[in-house]
Amino acid sequence: MRLSLAWLAEFVDLPPAADLIEGLCVGGFEDVCIDTPGPDLSAIRVGHVVERAPHPNADRLSVCRVDVGEGEPLEIVCGAPNVAAGQKVAVACVGTTLPDGRTLERAKLRGVTSNGMILSARELGLSEEHAGILVLDADARVGAPLGEVLGSSGRVLEVGLTPNRGDAASVLGMAREVRALFGGDLRLPEITPDERGAPARGALQVSIEAPDACHAYLARVVRGVQHVASPDWLQRKLEASGIRSRGVVVDVTNLVLLEFGQPLHAFDLRRLRGAEVRVRRAHAGEKLATLDGEVRELDPRDLVIADAERAIALAGVMGGRETEVDATTVDVLIESAHFDPASVRRSARRHGIRSEASYRFERGVDPEGVLRAADRAARLIAELASGEVAEGTLEARGEPVPLASEIRFEVERANRLLGTAFTAAEAIALLARVDVDAREKVPGVLACRAPSHRGDIQIAEDLAEELVRIHGVEKIPATLPTGTLTPVELPRLWSLGERAKDGLVAAGLCECVSFPFVPDGDARRLGLTEADPRWRHLRVLNPVKEEEAWLRSSLVPSLLRLARQNLDRQVDPVRIFELSRVFRPQEQPQPPAEPLWIAGLITAPRQRRLWDPASPPPLFFELKGIAEKLLNELGCMASLRAGAGEPYHHPGAAAAILAGDQVIGSLGELHPDVAARFGIDVPCALVELDLERLAQAPPRSARFREVSRFPQVRRDLAVFIAREQPAEALLAAIAKTAGADLHSVELFDRYDGAGVPEGRVSLAFRLVFQRLDRTLTDAEVVSAVERVIRMLSHRFGGELR
Amino acid sequence: MPAETESLESLLAQACAEIAAADSVPALALVRARYLGRKGSVAAQLRGLGELAEPERLRQGRLANETKQGIEQAVAARREALETGDRARALGAHRLDPTLPGASPPTGHLHPITRVMRDMVGFFTSLGFAIEEGPEVDSEYNNFEALNIGADHPARDEQDTLYVEGGRLLRTHTSTVQIRAMTGRTPPLRFIAPGRVYRHDLSPRHSPMFHQIEGFLVDERVTFGDLKGVLETFGRFLMGEGVRLRFRANHFPFTEPSGEMDYSCLLCDGKGCATCSQSGWIEWGGCGMIHPRVLERCGIDPTRWQGFAFGMSLDRTAMLRQGLPLMRHLFDGDLRVLEQL
Repeated sequence: MRLSLAWLAEFVDLPPAADLIEGLCVGGFEDVCIDTPGPDLSAIRVGHVVERAPHPNADRLSVCRVDVGEGEPLEIVCGAPNVAAGQKVAVACVGTTLPDGRTLERAKLRGVTSNGMILSARELGLSEEHAGILVLDADARVGAPLGEVLGSSGRVLEVGLTPNRGDAASVLGMAREVRALFGGDLRLPEITPDERGAPARGALQVSIEAPDACHAYLARVVRGVQHVASPDWLQRKLEASGIRSRGVVVDVTNLVLLEFGQPLHAFDLRRLRGAEVRVRRAHAGEKLATLDGEVRELDPRDLVIADAERAIALAGVMGGRETEVDATTVDVLIESAHFDPASVRRSARRHGIRSEASYRFERGVDPEGVLRAADRAARLIAELASGEVAEGTLEARGEPVPLASEIRFEVERANRLLGTAFTAAEAIALLARVDVDAREKVPGVLACRAPSHRGDIQIAEDLAEELVRIHGVEKIPATLPTGTLTPVELPRLWSLGERAKDGLVAAGLCECVSFPFVPDGDARRLGLTEADPRWRHLRVLNPVKEEEAWLRSSLVPSLLRLARQNLDRQVDPVRIFELSRVFRPQEQPQPPAEPLWIAGLITAPRQRRLWDPASPPPLFFELKGIAEKLLNELGCMASLRAGAGEPYHHPGAAAAILAGDQVIGSLGELHPDVAARFGIDVPCALVELDLERLAQAPPRSARFREVSRFPQVRRDLAVFIAREQPAEALLAAIAKTAGADLHSVELFDRYDGAGVPEGRVSLAFRLVFQRLDRTLTDAEVVSAVERVIRMLSHRFGGELR
Repeated sequence: MPAETESLESLLAQACAEIAAADSVPALALVRARYLGRKGSVAAQLRGLGELAEPERLRQGRLANETKQGIEQAVAARREALETGDRARALGAHRLDPTLPGASPPTGHLHPITRVMRDMVGFFTSLGFAIEEGPEVDSEYNNFEALNIGADHPARDEQDTLYVEGGRLLRTHTSTVQIRAMTGRTPPLRFIAPGRVYRHDLSPRHSPMFHQIEGFLVDERVTFGDLKGVLETFGRFLMGEGVRLRFRANHFPFTEPSGEMDYSCLLCDGKGCATCSQSGWIEWGGCGMIHPRVLERCGIDPTRWQGFAFGMSLDRTAMLRQGLPLMRHLFDGDLRVLEQL
């Protein structure tokens, strides 16, 4: 909300600007600032025209002697017809930069030297007015910077209001706040109109047909208004709040809205049909052309103001075109009503309108300010547009606004809540500053009544909040809580996630955090089938970006996009991961599932770096090593199932990750088709883990095993084996066949170069034998190795190299 | 002088000369074998001793042993010298340029938000706050109604809610977890709820997704002053002893009284800069005493129990602690930025 600071100063004495900002800020208002719109006028000075004489050589020019507060009066040539001796004017001296950027120089005009310039409002950048120079108030101080003279009326207080403080959305409301926070007295403008006209009663009939939505409807009639421009002071007050002038009658209703916070509406009385105002719900199919130029189809839940025949305004939101006040208006009906906040809010939302009126009604308007505002507006219209205020008001009442009940306020209880030590007397004094009437009926217990404008104060805790606000939140002593401490155990899923992040960081991946919003079609891009739980995406109804209206069901598309963007930025290689929930819709009324996943991606480096091995491991095996180490660190017994990857994996380089029989993730190189769809042109591999399933996996026990003090015996075996034979089965078979004395078996070499028969590969195993109780004999080892060789030959067609 | 004596002395001199001439450890070993081996010169000398008379034999025997020891000493000294030289040569041969780059394993990085989150979680768990999490897609009830924000409450406008199909929404704050954590539990309760929240906002200063940490403590005697104390301690823990905190009165439908916290801008030290909109302060979050109606709704008797709650966003803190100028740096996954952190 923006208000003219000078206007506020009419209502209450203001502290220095910095104190005002700080005080309001700490006192519960947001984003408080004081703004000086318009040009910088600090270099322009107030001058006094001491003498004006005609120019000797030009009819239209005059030569003025102008006192600018220092030195001798300056001789200035001026072309404006309205310049006169005795005026206070705005003067730019030689060397001053004007608001349009020109720097003024000494000039000779028709033989007379001009030592400055007397400025018009247009030259000052204040308005389009250029009929003559700007004449200032007679009491402006000579020599003062012009900004100081005009500035105070130009300065604007900007304040953000919390939704409970509709009462502060006016000059009066802010003045009350300033008084509460800084002290002082309120000065209120004259309100009572001079009722010289014929009684309003005869003009029309007012009735409320929806008493739940309109608590009170009051109208005043002003007859015989003239269409004149609003005076400057009025226009400037509206301008400060960003409201354009629309003729004096409408301007007055807006002025009073800003002044008291009570929305008003002015109807052209002669355009009402049937001498009737009805506050009713809209009829089905009823239409209303509103002031913003739209024709709106009304909803039967909308509250409207209607005449005998049709809706003429959307109550509390916006007036109608057909009955609006314009240059031809003679008689005016001023509406001041109290509408139900929820009803106004729903209508405003339904029609997508946010008006000054609806803003205030939604947040609560003082139910007792209805008459005051109507009176004030009638008085001003009569004053400024020479109308005659009709005698009396037109009134109808709906259901009464529930009266604020008395609040029982135990001072000790408030102190216990706040950690303060207020006495009853201190509490009474503080509450009085926000117009709360508090009386101590029983010692320590106050009976409190909030003023009508503070509908938000309803319970004792609300009063405690006022105490904090007015006393100053910074004065509440900071303490530390006492109580029983119980040990905290982090949720398993949380700690698992954090450890998984650490594991991938240790493997050289960089954590990313990205938005969950994805475009339509990711499931297809990944090659998923409709049966896949990731096929369906949850849709955002009002997305931030229209083209990203879905919530991701998998982290893979996000990682692929991040990879592509980083490749575009010439990052090489890309090694990233993300931990996040993903969203999977369930059958209604089940809420969507939000499993927590961690997923990592690495790309093959485009360029070799110093010390890189000449033949780095294939990407799949690099990532497999990372995944195995991670699962190990997470304490999970996991295994891989080859060839059971995802549709977006390369069919020849993929595996599922299992814990027991449960699939908990996957690993694989990216399918070339999917890579192409995501614009990735380097080899790329992905690993994913469902942390919730991982959390349920049986933990791996890390327990002590006896260490042998007898020597190990190592035997290396190189065998030709069919290419397609999975190595894991060979290792398992060797471990089983070699017997109890086998300590470990390891695949240490794989060779398929020269000398290897077609369709085969040479695999080299290192078998280590060791016993806990004695040294092995050579014969024992030889016999075990021979068993293995026979087994490899029989079961796998292995042939010793 | 008998021939043996002379020959033993000359033998020592000869051996010493050969030992000195040996230029490697194997060459030295050959020299030693020649003199001291079983078929060596000294042994040959000793073999003749048996023929000598008793006193002469004793004398010659002693002399032979002295010769033998002399040769052994000379060999040992020479070996020592040769080995030292060998080591020095070997060391000299292995010379590399220590200024070449290290063969560093790839380096990973935690996201700035993770770092801040861990600091926060660490602080509050040390004070006995347990972690509670809730879903990101939640009901209107948990996000609004249960927190005193009815369907017609204007505060709903301010939240810029993102709605999803099925009548649900993306939670606009982690306060939703208050309801889940308190319902069905008996105080005293101390919880934090870290997580992602969403708003319909894509201005440069805001982001449609950001992170909050919610905390609440319900007990018989816990005050607004305690709330201030905990948050001030927390602020200094998180942002350093030099940070200044400011509490402002404010309004939230689910706390009463309510406050808002600011911390002095970490970039300009509170002097005013573009990041803090020249105000010197960065908005941190909201806090207050839990509204009695919220407690009631969770089945907690507000006449016996009271509590505080706070919720702060941590994205800006994460940015400022590492000097990131723009919010989007947190979320656009630009490794050129994230790998610096």
